[in-house]
Amino acid sequence: MNVFLQSIGFGVITASIIAIGAMGFSLQFGLTNVLNLSFGSIMTLAGFVAYLCETAGINIWLGLVLGGLSGAVATILIGKSVFKIFARRGAKLFEMVMVTLSLALIIEYSIDAVSQDQIYQLTFPQGSSFTFGPITVTASQLAIIGIGIAIFAALEAMLKLTRLGKALRAMAVDPSLARSCGIPTDRIVNATWLVSGFLCGVAGVVFVINSLSVDSYTGTLFLPSVLAAAILGGVGSPGGALVASLVLGIVTELTAALGGSAYSTVAAFGVLVVVLLSKPSGVARKVELTV
Amino acid sequence: MGSLFAYYIPTLVVYFGIDLLSAWSLNLQYGYAGVINFSFIIFQAAGAYVAAAVSLGPDTGLNSYQTYIFGARLPWPLPLIAAAAAGAALSALIGLFALRRIRRDYQAAVMLIVSLIALQVVSADVHLFNGSNGLTGVPHPMMTALNLSLSSWEWVWVVLVLAICVVVYVLVERLCRSSWGRALRAMRDQEDAAASIGLNPTVLRLEVFVIGGAIAGLSGGLLVEFISAWSPGAWGYAETFVIFTALLIGGVGNNRGMIVGTLLVPILFLELPSYLPSFGYPGLVDDFEWIIIGLLWMLGLLIRPRGVLPERRFIASREGAGVMTVGTRKGFFGRLLSVGSGEPARLFHRSAGGVPTVASPAGIGDEARPEEAEVR
Repeated sequence: MNVFLQSIGFGVITASIIAIGAMGFSLQFGLTNVLNLSFGSIMTLAGFVAYLCETAGINIWLGLVLGGLSGAVATILIGKSVFKIFARRGAKLFEMVMVTLSLALIIEYSIDAVSQDQIYQLTFPQGSSFTFGPITVTASQLAIIGIGIAIFAALEAMLKLTRLGKALRAMAVDPSLARSCGIPTDRIVNATWLVSGFLCGVAGVVFVINSLSVDSYTGTLFLPSVLAAAILGGVGSPGGALVASLVLGIVTELTAALGGSAYSTVAAFGVLVVVLLSKPSGVARKVELTV
Repeated sequence: MGSLFAYYIPTLVVYFGIDLLSAWSLNLQYGYAGVINFSFIIFQAAGAYVAAAVSLGPDTGLNSYQTYIFGARLPWPLPLIAAAAAGAALSALIGLFALRRIRRDYQAAVMLIVSLIALQVVSADVHLFNGSNGLTGVPHPMMTALNLSLSSWEWVWVVLVLAICVVVYVLVERLCRSSWGRALRAMRDQEDAAASIGLNPTVLRLEVFVIGGAIAGLSGGLLVEFISAWSPGAWGYAETFVIFTALLIGGVGNNRGMIVGTLLVPILFLELPSYLPSFGYPGLVDDFEWIIIGLLWMLGLLIRPRGVLPERRFIASREGAGVMTVGTRKGFFGRLLSVGSGEPARLFHRSAGGVPTVASPAGIGDEARPEEAEVR
């Protein structure tokens, strides 16, 4: 029973990390229709920014913001240059997927070249431990959960309460109608690249804060979980991404606790497969954005 | 000069053959059927692991330094057949869930996830195939039986690989020209139209996936018996991308183009750096190779999306045949044998959006389905 509770505790932490990435991915995919497989490598980029901040003596929480900003900048640069060129040429959706994958290769191996294929350890203090029954978490893990919830709340508020959110939702439903209603769709797409890129960067940094190490494959290896949560939760739905991340995170940690640590991602993937088989276009597609 | 012919040239030719088999397999799946197999490399890996395990013998005694499943010592060429079977079986297993009618970009994502997760699992679980250290000491078949030196055995293997390449080329060409191959292209270009004349896209996709998987498994088996070791380092997700680049450069949907693409991308391109003076830390040249592979793909798509040798326009017709009957009842082997008595494929020789669908242009098939809005 204790093992069960402990793995739920770890599952919530893992879920918070997945959820931050999945919310960003989901927003980006819902608005731009680009299934961006270079998402993971941008997470790695932000992770390295956090590592550099730590070695430069900058507070890790400031590093979190800087990592998020680096993700935002990288994403909008890619979106405005590469993706735009191929979209203008009329690339089909899956040709676009190939383009994003080649970008993933380019970014990942550029980082590998600069980082000389090494694993870098972070050493900042984890803060004091807190015990809730059988579950013991560190202060930074609590902070990660807090960041996940805060980002979810901020994203929901942005989508529901602000003009930008309203424009985003309008564009997700019908971009040409939105344009003819006077919504500056180009600027909305720019905002999407920035916000989703920021979330991507934050997810990368948070992952590094939890695992305390970073190498050039960090984000790519984490990409399956983010993709699975985004597809499972329904594209363009922050709430769905959050719930899906909780399911995936807890399934992952439970499987690991029950002895199959090599198979923990397989179990999470099994959930995705079962759901995709029963609902081929993902659960609750665009629910939140179409409200 | 002596060592050049003893080791370097045979190695190069064997790699060329293996990559060519991979390219044909992927061309069958992507070029003809439009299946985006981002997990291609795991089928080659499955073939390699199984061929290694069934020729190494049990993982006790001499082999007790490594642990693996399926340990046996089967006489050659059974390991190669086992490799092809492993590739086919794994393809069938993955195809059963990944090839359903889900959005094609989801499909690509699911395949990529499969590739990444398979690598993690095999690296982490030492009981499967010795974890991240991989399997070593795979014997060279027939070498002791024929009493050959390593250098002359390598030439035997060169001949064998090239012979298999010829056989596979004839097989894929016949498959592609058969009514089954036309059915594949029909499905690729106009899935709904193909379904409306009684073709089952899911079954067609599964068939082509399994056949491609068998070729991939065979190529893995041939490779592992040549290099006698196999580990997770050999099958990262990016390896699939090398073959995809060869496909794009050579000409998607053209089996002869695959020869050009394989010569240009995996062979010329990945061999050239070994002539460069070494610089930086070890591995830096590899990094640049991958970066350039990524750039090459994007440039190819922009500059010459149909490749060096574009897909040939191939129209099958028979005098007096008015009704479209793409083989549906004969079963797979019936279709394989019925090459030449081709039924007409006129239904698909028409325009879709001003573009003839038989010789499909850059946007390979995939006319907009309702749920697939365009990239914004």
